[in-house]
Amino acid sequence: MISLSDIPARPSAWITPPMIVLALLLLAAPDLLPAVGLYQYLGIEIAIWIGFALGFNLLFGYTGLHSFGHGAYLGIGAYAFGLFQHHVAVSLWGGLLAAVLAAGVAGALVGAFLSHRRGIYYALLTIGFGQIFWFLAMKLHRVTGGEDGLLGIPRPPLTLGPWQLALTDNRTLFYFAAALLMIVVVLCWRLANSPFGRVLQAIRQHETRARFVGYEVWRFKWAVFTLSAMLAGLAGSLLAMAQQSAYPDVMSLHQSGLIVMMVLVGGGLVSFWGPVLGVVFYFVARDVLGGLTETWLLWYGLIFMAMVMLRPEGLAGMLHGLLRRRPALKPTTAPAPATEAA
Amino acid sequence: MIDLLPHIINGLTLGLLFALIALGFTLIVGVMEVINLAHGSLFAIGAYFALTVIAGSWFAGTPFGAWWLSLPLGLRYVLALALGPALAGLAGMLLELCLRPTYGKPPLYGLLLTFGAALVIEELIRLVWGTGEQNLALPQAINGAFLLNGMIFSTYRFFAAGFSIAAIIAVWLFLERTSAGAVIKAGAHDSEMVRALGYDLARLRLVVFGFGAALAGLAGVVMVPIWGLRPHVGVDIVIPAFLIIVIGGVGSFWGAVIAALLVGLAIGITGAYAAAWSTMSMYLLLIAILGFRSRGLLGRKSALEN
Repeated sequence: MISLSDIPARPSAWITPPMIVLALLLLAAPDLLPAVGLYQYLGIEIAIWIGFALGFNLLFGYTGLHSFGHGAYLGIGAYAFGLFQHHVAVSLWGGLLAAVLAAGVAGALVGAFLSHRRGIYYALLTIGFGQIFWFLAMKLHRVTGGEDGLLGIPRPPLTLGPWQLALTDNRTLFYFAAALLMIVVVLCWRLANSPFGRVLQAIRQHETRARFVGYEVWRFKWAVFTLSAMLAGLAGSLLAMAQQSAYPDVMSLHQSGLIVMMVLVGGGLVSFWGPVLGVVFYFVARDVLGGLTETWLLWYGLIFMAMVMLRPEGLAGMLHGLLRRRPALKPTTAPAPATEAA
Repeated sequence: MIDLLPHIINGLTLGLLFALIALGFTLIVGVMEVINLAHGSLFAIGAYFALTVIAGSWFAGTPFGAWWLSLPLGLRYVLALALGPALAGLAGMLLELCLRPTYGKPPLYGLLLTFGAALVIEELIRLVWGTGEQNLALPQAINGAFLLNGMIFSTYRFFAAGFSIAAIIAVWLFLERTSAGAVIKAGAHDSEMVRALGYDLARLRLVVFGFGAALAGLAGVVMVPIWGLRPHVGVDIVIPAFLIIVIGGVGSFWGAVIAALLVGLAIGITGAYAAAWSTMSMYLLLIAILGFRSRGLLGRKSALEN
């Protein structure tokens, strides 16, 4: 099976061709989505979840740390943003900062506890902490609004010096989310291909060996957990703005499992772009299958099971296989390299 | 001062039921090194099928349905107690067949596949049995309540706890005192050697998965009158089961039983002081215990750590 490290990249590049494609798609999305029969709000959702998924994949795909409770940090970001607007000041940048910091602090605390653990114990503890945060969100009625959610979160205007732009319109909010997303994409790409990212991949491939080489493995595990929690918090603050409310259900095990499913279906284990494909596939499938049948999750679940059984490298892996096989069709070139899963 | 005794008794009975669920789970983890996140869904399948057997709802309006409902409730309950686990066992075997491509890969794939299966089973349950909360009808003999020392206790809780103790002892005797149990334990210890000795490893895995799933189904039939029956019950129950085997130590029989009793007690005693927060106590227990013992109470090194 191909792995993340095998895919050739220009690691030093800040901007790569797929990024330009993504940026162009994002620019066109508000007009593209209605043209294919989908609605505009979907674009905001997809942009938010791509950011979340990319940060999550630094942990999941690159470092091989299987967190099944990551929705918690998305939720913490959303609540932090809302509470900041309600109790401190109606401010966009302040809210974003509060969300990233709150999720980062929660992630750093949990990460400090987790980072000496491995394998299934790691995964289980992430579930345990995720459930605790979810439970708190449900039960701290006075702070979070409990099951009814934290309502009436405003969309503060975007201010840059003297210049001000209202984000009340879904289209404007989408472009703001898309701009933040592109920053996250570049950041994640640089990080994944930096020396730091190389150590993360070494940890995935063989944690003990990475430690023997001399890296303090737990610090890297802690740092990447905190970082992905911060990115989840950022996504959460955008979600709070999009929905103008924050609910505990994004923190449930169910939602935390969905992000794992999206990343895997897209091919996050083999490609930087896997999470992007996975998120788009999930949301389009939700809207298209969901329009056809009430039980669309049944079908998505079956697709997911078939994928794990037959093509665990996901959509990105399949695409990669197709692209690499093409030259073999010409009679002059050597036989196709084997890309089958082992 | 709150009188703790009824809460401790409630906690212990709950713990015994948790132990019943965790047993099948720990058996599957031990032999196959697969974390079966669909274990709760197999529990739900057993319980929902028992519901159908007791209420005869699939045959309502037909002469067969009328005849079926004329049978005594006790007989139908006993039949449900046998057929529910049997069906859950079959579903488990089907799941094991789906799992085969993931053997030899990192444990993540088994975990993900069973997570997908849990989603699929939950949706199937919604399709077949509807989305609402349902209840099992219980025979008179084990229903109702009784007074002891001036406190009211539910008869069914004691029946369920006694049933769990019997099942735990039966499983332990099966593993310790029969040759089939010896092969299963050997399979958990060193599956390569078991294969080298001429046992069919594929069949062993199929049987163990089916057996573990049947235990989940049995736990479902017994526990649902206390816990309630809704499509989401699979996810609600798999978390405590999962917690218990990790607290107890992956693959350890008595570790699972002790951990289940601890979790039950924690929930029972927290329930006395802050009922709304009682579920939280099991997560705190997990974090407290794993903070000190990274492999749980009685755990040993396992391939799942990699």
